[in-house]
Amino acid sequence: MSSTLFIALPLLFGFISPLFSKFGKNTTAIVSTTMQLFLFLLSLSLLVDAKPYVEVISINPPLGISFVLTKVSLFFVTLFTFLMLMFSLYYMSYRKTIPYKNETKFFILINMLLASAVGLVLSSDIFNIYVFFEIAGISAYILSAYKKTPSALEAGIKYLLTGAIASVFLVFAIALIYLNIGSLNLAVISLSFEELPHNVKILISILLLVGFGFKIEIFPLNFWVSDVYEGSSAHVNTLFSAIVVKAYLFVFFHILYLFLPSGEFSIFLIYLGAISMLVAEIVALKQTNLKRLFAYSSLGQIGLIFTAFAMQNQDGVQGALYIIFAHSIAKTIIFLSLTTIGKKYNTYDIEVLKKLNSNFLKVVMLIAMLSLLGIPLFAGFVGKFLTLKTLAVNGTFLAMGIILLASLLEAVYYFKLVGFMFVKNEVKEVLEINKTQKVIFASLAIILIIVGTFPFVVSNFLLDSANVLLDNHSFITMLMH
Amino acid sequence: MFEFFNQSEVIKIIIIVGSMSLFLVGLFGLLTQKHIIKTFISIAIMESSVFLLFIGLSYKQTFLAPILADGQQNFSQMNDPVPQAMILTAIVIGMAVLALGVSFTIEYYKLTSKTNIDEMTSLRN
Amino acid sequence: MSLKRDLPTSTMSGFALSASLVLTILNILLHNIPNNIQTVGDELLKLNQTEGVANAVTTVVVYFRGFDTLGEIAVLFIASLGIGLMLDANKRCDIKAKSNFMLQTASKLLFPIIMLFGIYVMVYGHLSPGGGFQGGVIVASGVLLLLISFNEFELSHKVVSMLEMFAGASYVIIGLIGLLVLDKFLGNFLPNDVANMGMLLSGGIIPIIYIIVGVKVGSEMSVISENLIKRCEDV
Repeated sequence: MSSTLFIALPLLFGFISPLFSKFGKNTTAIVSTTMQLFLFLLSLSLLVDAKPYVEVISINPPLGISFVLTKVSLFFVTLFTFLMLMFSLYYMSYRKTIPYKNETKFFILINMLLASAVGLVLSSDIFNIYVFFEIAGISAYILSAYKKTPSALEAGIKYLLTGAIASVFLVFAIALIYLNIGSLNLAVISLSFEELPHNVKILISILLLVGFGFKIEIFPLNFWVSDVYEGSSAHVNTLFSAIVVKAYLFVFFHILYLFLPSGEFSIFLIYLGAISMLVAEIVALKQTNLKRLFAYSSLGQIGLIFTAFAMQNQDGVQGALYIIFAHSIAKTIIFLSLTTIGKKYNTYDIEVLKKLNSNFLKVVMLIAMLSLLGIPLFAGFVGKFLTLKTLAVNGTFLAMGIILLASLLEAVYYFKLVGFMFVKNEVKEVLEINKTQKVIFASLAIILIIVGTFPFVVSNFLLDSANVLLDNHSFITMLMH
Repeated sequence: MFEFFNQSEVIKIIIIVGSMSLFLVGLFGLLTQKHIIKTFISIAIMESSVFLLFIGLSYKQTFLAPILADGQQNFSQMNDPVPQAMILTAIVIGMAVLALGVSFTIEYYKLTSKTNIDEMTSLRN
Repeated sequence: MSLKRDLPTSTMSGFALSASLVLTILNILLHNIPNNIQTVGDELLKLNQTEGVANAVTTVVVYFRGFDTLGEIAVLFIASLGIGLMLDANKRCDIKAKSNFMLQTASKLLFPIIMLFGIYVMVYGHLSPGGGFQGGVIVASGVLLLLISFNEFELSHKVVSMLEMFAGASYVIIGLIGLLVLDKFLGNFLPNDVANMGMLLSGGIIPIIYIIVGVKVGSEMSVISENLIKRCEDV
């Protein structure tokens, strides 16, 4: 089975979707969820296959575009398809009562988001990556402004403005790369990038950093993130924080490892990530809106992932992959629970946690928050520990101190939330959680506990993936044969 | 005098200076204008300047356009078709995103009658 | 009246910041003007001799980098979907200004010529400069002319959505057939004789895809124009 199906099937679904509504109200939903299940099984089967493979599109590389299927890219594809499947099943559980208006368009948009995230991770051609950036971006802008309330529209406008500015810088960088090197294939560029004149190399790197920086939400270019998260519904915030930004992070560091393998700027990037995490956690302390609070928490974790990737060695990348895995699953749990809470109590203020009267939801959210904090026995611990250990081994004690301080601040507001949740309340009305939702939350939480308690289940795989990501030589050989 | 301007180096310098001044205009508009539509226009100007730079610099002096015309038989001594294909795609994508942005602004104006970025405060900053 | 005005500090600082940024970039670019190096385009031109059509840009857009074109079609599709969602495609109001009698007569005369020219540019895109995008936009500008001249003119939703659906689905299906037949997504599986270069029926799937792209772009731009012109202004 070809990996281009990840792009072709959602596109086909999008184009023929006006037909589905003629067959009944539920057809679009059922077809979309079945297709996502099929894509998840396809990615599992490709993952098990394990041999690195180059899927050619139209003509052979290095003249044409191709998809590179290695362990690390398939790890991301499987994670994305799994989380999208959880998202769709959660939506199916409440769509009988409160569906979105124009539901067909909603399904088209989430499937295009999935297709573009997968395409970003698999592609090996820099202009193709730009096209997928735009597809992901435009789907995200519309999903953000879907409800058409003034705050949703304001979030959509802000998201679109920053995304468009990022695209301009990205096209500028791609233009300079093509004018100076002559190819758009990542392998060919990485072979010749070192020999460029020094000023041009710095200019291209800075343009790429600014262009990507808006999208990967790194300080100081993440001023827009909390507004977008607050304006959009909590349901689509799941997609933004668990799928979209992880794909962007992967692409940025994939390109960084290929273009600058000697790690010239890694100290600068390590401190950028650490400062980003610290600033995000400081601002998170005084938030009273739950969506904004978890947006800043996401920004903090992204800073941590950024630092881990920026170290450009095996332990750092392995730690980053662990944190990505744990963070995506934990944020999915949190934002989907926020959707349930928001639908019941109609507010996202932090005080609503005191009114929450569902033990199941409280336990599940507690597990997710403990994982985000990095408490041992939960999945977030392994990644954070590996990152801090590598920072200490490399001698960057200041960055390690900054991250520890930021984690301390994170613990402060997480324990405040936990305190609100477990306060004795007099409200008798219990929040009933749907059975499907219970299954989704329980399976995600169990994954966090299993990976946290028995990390050897995934550690070999993540170690191999980290080695693959850092291995330029085999990537280039695969594409240039 | 026109011989001087016909050299390839001078043409490239003119293209670089011209497109960068357009980029300056766009960047200035982006940083200082408060009306949302004006920021969209500034982004469009910046995009156009980058496309101009790219196409202008990939032009080879005496080569022909990459299309068979006037009895030509083979594709040699032709300009590069790849930048032209890339810019076609990028122009369409840029236009689509800006059209979407304008429709967001129209709907927002219909609901709140505000178009100033400083006044968009329904989200606490 | 004095010509001097107080420029506010925000304007001055914005100008200073942007000027310094642009001057740095200008400095770097002027010192390192890119030479004409050997690029991928030269090799693609050589490959075009055996596998392409007369218009090398068309071959690159549709065949060698056909995946980017598919992505671009997806972006246009999602943008038109989003505009329809935002501006409420179900409600239609007429524009307030009454158009002039001269405009109405002229557009009735010009519309068939514009459509014919647009379809010509679309179909002959692989032989002369032009192609699907260009032809589609020309067709859409003809529709735009009618939309602003006649208040009663409305695009039929059924026809346009049928066209879009058919065009989009056939593009992806052609790609999937290429996957089945040649094991490469969007591979050229129709016969492509070098001897036919310069004739209308040449290039395998390339003219077919470009016509599909033209139909899709034309219909989508018409829908976007109609949504923007005939939207209802009252809340």
